[in-house]
Amino acid sequence: MPPLGLPKLEELINELGEADRQERIELLIDLARELPPLPDRLDHLKDEAHRVPECQSPVFLFVEAEGGRLRLYGDAPIEAPTVRGFVSILVNGLDGESAEEVARVPDDLLKRSGLAEILGMQRSSGLHAVLRRLRGMAAQAGA
Amino acid sequence: MPGYAHPELLVSADWVAAHLDDPKVRIVESDEDPALYFQGHIPGAVEIGWHSHLQDQVVRDYIDVAAFEKLCSQAGIANDTTVVFYGDRSNWWACYALWAFKLFGHNDCRVMNGGYKLWKAEDRPLEREVPNYPATNYTAKPIDESTIRAFRDDVLAHIKAKKPLIDVRSPKEFTGEMLHMEDYPQEGSLRAGHIPGAKSVPWNQAVNEDGTFKSVEELRALYEKGAGLKPTDDVVAYCRIGERSSLAWFVLTYLLGYPKVRNYDGSWTEWGNLVRVPIERGA
Repeated sequence: MPPLGLPKLEELINELGEADRQERIELLIDLARELPPLPDRLDHLKDEAHRVPECQSPVFLFVEAEGGRLRLYGDAPIEAPTVRGFVSILVNGLDGESAEEVARVPDDLLKRSGLAEILGMQRSSGLHAVLRRLRGMAAQAGA
Repeated sequence: MPGYAHPELLVSADWVAAHLDDPKVRIVESDEDPALYFQGHIPGAVEIGWHSHLQDQVVRDYIDVAAFEKLCSQAGIANDTTVVFYGDRSNWWACYALWAFKLFGHNDCRVMNGGYKLWKAEDRPLEREVPNYPATNYTAKPIDESTIRAFRDDVLAHIKAKKPLIDVRSPKEFTGEMLHMEDYPQEGSLRAGHIPGAKSVPWNQAVNEDGTFKSVEELRALYEKGAGLKPTDDVVAYCRIGERSSLAWFVLTYLLGYPKVRNYDGSWTEWGNLVRVPIERGA
């Protein structure tokens, strides 16, 4: 598979992709735990406008432009560690990149990371929606 | 749990807490999120996943008898073990697993009322250690599956005979405005709507905010006053892939005591893709 050109994201995705099922689950739990809490100013904005509507679990994403780079923030329930772990991958893997780079993240991220495999095909679409939403927000922030 | 037809099928979090070390009891977590169990589960609980353990990975069906026997043996479940299911999403998957265990003839299956949500909300202990139990020599005794499972031909016969069907999907899926639950896109069906004659009783009306089941009076009002069911009815319940309807199957069978309820696990992902089967749209 072609490299993503996004070293931090690539490292996280490759680590997950190369792990076996159990290691992958443990990694997701760690990633979920490492998702930093939202800054207070954003925590007040957890409303429908900032929610990913297609995802069954309440997932909130925030993108801010800062000198040509994007700062990313996100939140998802502790009770949904797979979803929260995925949000953590995106936030940690893409924070500080440019809008163009974030908007270019490919659709096959779930496949590369092996998440599609542990979720089952019937349950990966909510995470695809999180990725699509983040790309859309990045494109807007960069415009 | 006053008033339920088979109250012994439902246990409280207190009951589970008092039986954590009971060798005759096995606590089983069944979740939608495959990592939730490993992040922290009821001490001593084992995980049985709907996707990773109970479903065949090639054919759209449950695992076979030999695979089920192996699964139970490895989880330290014997034929006479009391198996208590709980999980996320107000016990959808717990009910789904219980239904599958019933197909394979496991006798003593129960659900922990409130599921993961209530256990967590009450700050009860969770642990990450995955327990290991001595293997058993489980022998499955599958029941006549036609008593609790409906296939598409059964459903066709059912609508011809004008017998009651319960559709537990969201209102917009029922009317055909949406092909899937609002939050779950793309779980592929080519046509939208419902099976003719089905009554809409969205699954979440059967549970309270804290994850517990509604009272017997509320459930009767929902299914009998609301959807016109009678306890003697032959009922088929369905949803999109058969998981939310197994919660309705559990409620009708064990909490209200209906003797003849079947879960159509092919559900809308089968019916909405079949050629030339009748479909209705609108409320």
